[in-house]
Amino acid sequence: MGVEEAKGGPVVPESVLKKQKRNEEWALAKKQDLEAAKKKRVENGKLIYKRAKLYAKEYDEKQMELIRLKREAKLKGGFYVDPEAKLLFIIRIRGINAMDPKSRKILQLLRLRQIFNGVFLKVNKATVNMLHRVEPYVTYGYPNLKSVRELIYKRGYGKLNKQRIALTDNSIIEQALGKHGIICMEDLIHEILTVGPHFKEANNFLWPFKLKAPLGGMKKKRNHYVEGGDAGNREVYINELIRRMN
Amino acid sequence: MAAARPLVTVQPLEADMATDSATTVHLPDVMKAPMRPDVVRFAHANLSKNKRQPYAVSKSAGHQTSAESWGTGRAVSRIPRVSGGGTHRAGQAAIGNMCRGGRMFAPTKIWRRWHRKVNVNLKRYAIVSAIAASAVPSLVLARGHRIESIPELPLVISDSAESVEKTSAALGVLKQIGAYSDAEKAKDSHAIRPGKGKMRNRRYINRKGPLIVYGTEGASLVKAFRNIPGVEIVNVERLNLLKLAPGGHLGRLVVWTKSAFEKLDSIYGSFEKPSEKKKGYVLPRAKMVNGDLSRIINSDEIQSVVRPIKKEVKRAPMKKNPLKNLNALLKLNPYAKTARRMALLAEAERVKSKEEKLERKRKPITKEEAAAIKAAGKSWYQTMISESDYAEFENFTKWLGVSQ
Repeated sequence: MGVEEAKGGPVVPESVLKKQKRNEEWALAKKQDLEAAKKKRVENGKLIYKRAKLYAKEYDEKQMELIRLKREAKLKGGFYVDPEAKLLFIIRIRGINAMDPKSRKILQLLRLRQIFNGVFLKVNKATVNMLHRVEPYVTYGYPNLKSVRELIYKRGYGKLNKQRIALTDNSIIEQALGKHGIICMEDLIHEILTVGPHFKEANNFLWPFKLKAPLGGMKKKRNHYVEGGDAGNREVYINELIRRMN
Repeated sequence: MAAARPLVTVQPLEADMATDSATTVHLPDVMKAPMRPDVVRFAHANLSKNKRQPYAVSKSAGHQTSAESWGTGRAVSRIPRVSGGGTHRAGQAAIGNMCRGGRMFAPTKIWRRWHRKVNVNLKRYAIVSAIAASAVPSLVLARGHRIESIPELPLVISDSAESVEKTSAALGVLKQIGAYSDAEKAKDSHAIRPGKGKMRNRRYINRKGPLIVYGTEGASLVKAFRNIPGVEIVNVERLNLLKLAPGGHLGRLVVWTKSAFEKLDSIYGSFEKPSEKKKGYVLPRAKMVNGDLSRIINSDEIQSVVRPIKKEVKRAPMKKNPLKNLNALLKLNPYAKTARRMALLAEAERVKSKEEKLERKRKPITKEEAAAIKAAGKSWYQTMISESDYAEFENFTKWLGVSQ
């Protein structure tokens, strides 16, 4: 493979030359990749800013709209009925032991494998019936914007390559959901809140939330919410529970 | 592989004619066979068992008594005891392996399986490996032979060596080819064996010297070389693994005569051509043709498709709570900065306007304002007490009960 002599002398081994050339090529390719990535990141940043602004406006509008409709109805003497909620947040409130197999399986399907795990859920006949069967083991309700935002920002982890990866950067979200047009946290929150066309993929990307035991305690796990306990549908009051558990 | 067959020079001896200078022979393919120390060790271990002679104890040893147990009740152990009386031997324990003069545990038998069968192909593989190893100087050196002064490996000498008749001449031949130091080493190592072998007809031991391989049958070199300590002679048609790889270790110093060296090709064949002497035998192939791993890895074919080396190990960054840590929030949502700024400004506005409102309320009202308020109240009262077609009461339809 060439005569070994002092480096920089008249005869440099061929292997050394080959390695040098290879290293240079790699360095060049790496630099080009870095520049391209940087440019893309800058563009993305602008896009994300615009979208976040758009969503902020949209949320404000929705809130104002709701208030306006309520006031108008009150004025006319009628009532404004909120549309049925499209989004649910479910929290498992009972532990592992002493569960019948059907309920166990349903909780597994809902990805609630641990006590105080929480997931978002779309409302349709299928899911509602599933929830009905596991009512004594869960509590659920309709989360508002603040709940969704705080859950995803503080305890949001994504499923990337079957691993639970913290959402520390928008690139993680883009890698997983880029093909559905969701490239940042705000996109994700918007998709979850307004149950969008890619809710399924976005929700499945989110690892089930591991919440802490509620500060201030629960009323009574064994009973339904309407009888003074905690289980079952507590509609809007889920938000208060989320504040205590997040 | 057979395309480039290197040449081996035949070392001339003094008796040769000076005319044919440096004849050369092609290297036979045997020398390129794969070297498998595991195969050689296996074959050697089993083949060396084949020269054993059976040993056993006498089959009646320990039983040549009519000993019988005394049974219980006599305050002695129940081992069989020698019957009779009148001598020391009477009443002594007998027969058991624990007894003095009794038979040993599991007396050795002559029908122990002394010899081992080794597959013919395995035996040939081992021999072929050993021959190949004898052509590698580092292996021969590692085995312990003194090869500093030999001119070339494999060491081929001209056929005039086969007609050597006197041992003194044989020693001269060894000196000429540089193998004398090896033979000398064997001679100097003549020593008494440590251990019991001394008294079992294996009193002396010495090192192994060179192995001379000759080609023609009945060559007189056999008689000339056989009295030199350490040197062994073997015909090329009857190569012995126990001589080519003594102790199961590859790399014996082998001295070939020219006719022996030329016969190797026909005895062992090549990688494609079967051997003439061994029916249907073809030299074994190695698992890897090119065993030099570093050369393969650094070759162009592999390096051209290899990905860049990853020197920095990427670790997951620590998750910071975006609801508390502003920078973490901005990383995820760059709009949050302006949103927060606007919120702060709006809050400041609200606070300011509230302050102003309170200020105004707490200040005493001026005379003009007080007069304006009073006048407005008076005019309203006038409208109330007068009958008017006040029809703009859509706001009051609910409780007035009057429709438009």
